[in-house]
This record gives sequence, structure tokens and C-alpha cells, in this order.
Amino acid sequence: MNSDLLALLTTLQMAAVSTFILLLIGTPMAWYLAKMNSRFKVLIEAVIALPLVLPPTVLGFYLLLLMSPQSLPGEMWQQLSGQQLAFSFSAIVIGSVIYSLPFVVQPLQKSFEQLGEPLLESAAMLGAGPIDRFFNVVLPITKASFITAASLGFAHTVGEFGVVLMIGGNIGGETRVLSVALFEHVEAFEYAKAHVLAGSLLVGSFVLLAAIYLLNHRVKSSTL
Amino acid sequence: MAPLIIDCTVRYSVFELQIKQELALNGVLGIYGQSGCGKSTLLRILSGLNGQATGKVVLDNQVLLNSEQGVFVPPAQRNIGLVFSNCRLFPHLNVLKNLNFAAKRCVNRRLKTADIIELTQLGDLLAHDVSQLSSGQQQRVALARAILAEPKLLLLDEPMSALDISNKQLLLAMLRQVHRELQLPMCYVSHSLHELQTVADDLLVMDSGKVRGYGKIATMVHQLNELDEAAAQTSLCLTVAAHLPQYALSSLSLGLQSLYLPLLKDNMGNLLTIGSSVRITIAANEISIVKQATVDSSMVNQLPVKITTIKTFAGNSLLSVVCQQQTFFVQISLMSSERLVLSVGDKVIIQFKASALHFLGLKD
Repeated sequence: MNSDLLALLTTLQMAAVSTFILLLIGTPMAWYLAKMNSRFKVLIEAVIALPLVLPPTVLGFYLLLLMSPQSLPGEMWQQLSGQQLAFSFSAIVIGSVIYSLPFVVQPLQKSFEQLGEPLLESAAMLGAGPIDRFFNVVLPITKASFITAASLGFAHTVGEFGVVLMIGGNIGGETRVLSVALFEHVEAFEYAKAHVLAGSLLVGSFVLLAAIYLLNHRVKSSTL
Repeated sequence: MAPLIIDCTVRYSVFELQIKQELALNGVLGIYGQSGCGKSTLLRILSGLNGQATGKVVLDNQVLLNSEQGVFVPPAQRNIGLVFSNCRLFPHLNVLKNLNFAAKRCVNRRLKTADIIELTQLGDLLAHDVSQLSSGQQQRVALARAILAEPKLLLLDEPMSALDISNKQLLLAMLRQVHRELQLPMCYVSHSLHELQTVADDLLVMDSGKVRGYGKIATMVHQLNELDEAAAQTSLCLTVAAHLPQYALSSLSLGLQSLYLPLLKDNMGNLLTIGSSVRITIAANEISIVKQATVDSSMVNQLPVKITTIKTFAGNSLLSVVCQQQTFFVQISLMSSERLVLSVGDKVIIQFKASALHFLGLKD
């Protein structure tokens, strides 16, 4: 297979898996932060927001240290899975999840805070338990923010470069993603190939975002 | 139903609620008090939405809260309904789906959704978005939704606060009808004695987080006259004796006496059935006193009474008088009181216009 096509597949796979994990862990995180009154709340919020301001290479560097077989997490991973964590597909997924976390947690947290208690209390008084309330009141009302969170998480993961390069390297079919492939073409003066990749990333990202904004607009005007 | 037992305390930095009371839940219980007296907090304790209360709550022999034994039944499992003042309908569901949300989660399903839709007059609105409804319609949806969950006890927290007068009257009459047809015990919180006299059978009076009194509605309204003389009124429950359409008046019987008031009609504009019981109120300052009966007066209501108490306040006298075992409260100026040389035990005549009597609703 064409190496750029392979990079595209790896990228989409990484973004899809990361987005799925992000929603799975980001939703309860956002929920507890929205309901939290403790003074530690700001500290947790600051930690989650760190990837917004840190150079990705800083995050990548620390993650690389943690994932290396010499560190405890890296060693444990190797013993459980039989494979080295650093420079693997799993590594870039873990990296993207951490890197894109604020893009998923923040919109969800904001919409949960806006939703508040009134409708949840109302549902409870009609006999709806906590899980029932989440799936039949919270989820449908905050649907727009889930679409935003998922698409920002996905798009941000596709556009990732620094973290992937630090902890994934450039292994075809495993960790070689589009942004890394593009960098490689530029370094090798293969500008024609670089144009194809850069152009398709640009157009792809634009189409994705435009579709999301359109969808969000429709969801909002139908629920409000 | 077994009485509701409350023995609870909640403390906040600036407010403490402490209640120890057994409440009979046979009719509609009114809960009255000024804003901030703890009425809504009490409802939140009963419903389980206030998780900070300590003590005991027992409803229908089921312990809902016993903080010593660590018992706390979550709101969703209490089978208590709550209608909020701000409706809290689900914005993502239309009217019918809001109602079905409740019906689907109801365990017993004795009621038919169609019957409740008819009772609350929502038939034409089922497909509407809740945001398209007027506040009166929204509150009717909230009421229907709460009923369809088939609660053991329905709590209503100032449900009329956002409604105009005609919607208030419609909903109050509807509440009485719901109570009559479904035998559903209710607690109705309000700071309006007018609303409470229309809908409640018993009244719990609260002040600064404490219970100040509990009893039959008329008795409690008369007790409240002691606290707020300026707003003193008489609460009556009488039977319809006759209609006099040529004068646009109806008459009520009070023992051997008759009281006249504007023609009594129901929501549909039909005259009330002769013999039905109605709730009536009259403000103390609408009644005047003469020493002897006179035919030279435009006042259609004249009743011979005996003065039982006289109390003076801020340039006025508040008298309680008795006619045919019914107490009336009369407010006259101190000047008149002295000129007439009134004293306890005197027999006088009270008089008032037909329009001074306010019809609140049917008593079932």
C-alpha cells in the first residue's frame, strides 16, 4: 500500500479510537467537575487544561519517559501486554487522549453546568434513577455539546504532531500519521507529495468542522 | 392513609428549620408562611431533594428518612410527586412525551393517560413543544405529568406564582377536581391565603422555620387575624340556598339567616347546584356595624350578632362577633367604636354589600 495512504489509515484509526476513549472517560470527568464544589476543582481543571498551553513536545517528552521500559508504567505495560509501550500504536492513542482531553471535557462540563439541577430533580420526582436521568434527560438535552466535544477531540487528534513524534516515532502502519508523513516529505524536498498531504488535511479538516457546525446549528435550533 | 410524621432539623448558616409535627393527609393540606419561612425547604425534605436534613420522616408507615439509622430513601424511590413553581418541563420532549415520561416510569399504572389529559384539558396541546405553551398551559402539563406518576402524595410548591387570575382560578378548580376524583392527598404551599382557602382543607402555618399552627383552614385563617389585624378576614363554608337571577344574586344559608352575594357560577358559566357547599371569604374592613336593624340601607346583608371580643390596633378596632355559631371578624375605626360605645356581649347588627363576599370555590 502507498505509504501516505497507510499514514491516512493510521491517522483515522488513531483519531477514532482516541475519540471513543475520550468520550468514555471525558463524560464522567466533566460530570464530576460540573457538580464539584471542592476547592481542588480549580486545580483539576488547570491540569486538564494544560495541553492547551504546553508545547506538545513537552507533553511528549514526559510521556516518553513514563512509557519507556525503564519506568514503572512502561514496565508494567510490557509485562501485561508483552510489548513495549513507547513507539507503539497504543502509545500514540494514550498520548492523543491526554493531549485532546480539554477539548472534550470543557464543552461537556460547560453544558452540564448550564443544565443544572432543576430538570434532574424534576425527573427524579417522576421516578427516574441516576442512569435513567443521564440517558433520557442529560444526553438528549446536551446532545449539541457531545457533538462539539467528539468532533473537536477527533479533529485535534488528527492534527497532532509533536506528541506523536516524541512517543510514536515514525513506524509505517503503526505510528506514522499524516502530519509526520508531511514533515518527512518536506525534509526530503518532496514538495509535490507534501502538497497533496497538506492540501487534503486542510480541506478535510475544513469539511469536518463545517459539517459539525452545521449539524450543531440544526440540533440547537431543534431543541431550543 | 396513615398520618405523615415529620421530626426534622436542617441548619444553614443563616436559617434553621425545625419541625416536629404529625399531619393528617385526608384532604388537601395547605402550607402557609411568608417568603423564606421554610415552606419550600419542608417540601424538599419530604421529597428527598434536600439531603442535609436530619431526623425522621415517615409517610404511610414507610420510613423515608431516619438519619440515626442511616435510612434515606432517594427521591426517585419515594413515590412522591412535586409540582414546581417554574414547571420544569423537559424542553426536548413535546407535551405528550412529557406526560409519557411519567407514565412509563409509573409502577402501578392504574390511571389512563387519556383520562388525565381530559381532566387537565390538554387534548389540543399534545403535539406542541413545551416552549410554545403559555405559563398556564405549562403548569397544567406539569400537574398532569406529576399525576401520571401516580404518587402517594402530591406536593405543590407555589404552582400559581407565574399565573394570571383567570389561569389561577382554572387551575385551582382543577386541583380540587383532581383531588375529588383521584382521592390524591396533596400538600399545597403558598403565601396567598386566598389560594389556600380555595384549595385547602387543613392549614399548616410556618414562620422562621417553625410550625406556628395547624388545624382546619377556617380556624387557622381566623387565628392568623390575630397576627395580622390589618388583613383580617372571615373564612366561611356555606350551602347554596337559592339563585335570584333577576337581581344577579345568589343566597347562602347561615342557620336561619341568608347571605346574598353575586350569582354563583362554575367555570363553564352554569349556576351552582342548590345545596352544594361553597367556600367564601369576606375581609374584616368590608363589614360595618349598626346598633339597630334598619330598612333604610343599601346593604343587602344584615345579620344580628353578639360581640365576643374587641381588640384595638393602630387607630382601628378588630371585633369578633358571632351569628348562628359562625364567627365574623369586623374592622371599624376606633372613633366609630367609641362613638357607638361597644363592649363585649353587646348585640348589634353587622352589614355588608353582596359584592363584599368573595366566592373561592366549591367545597367537596
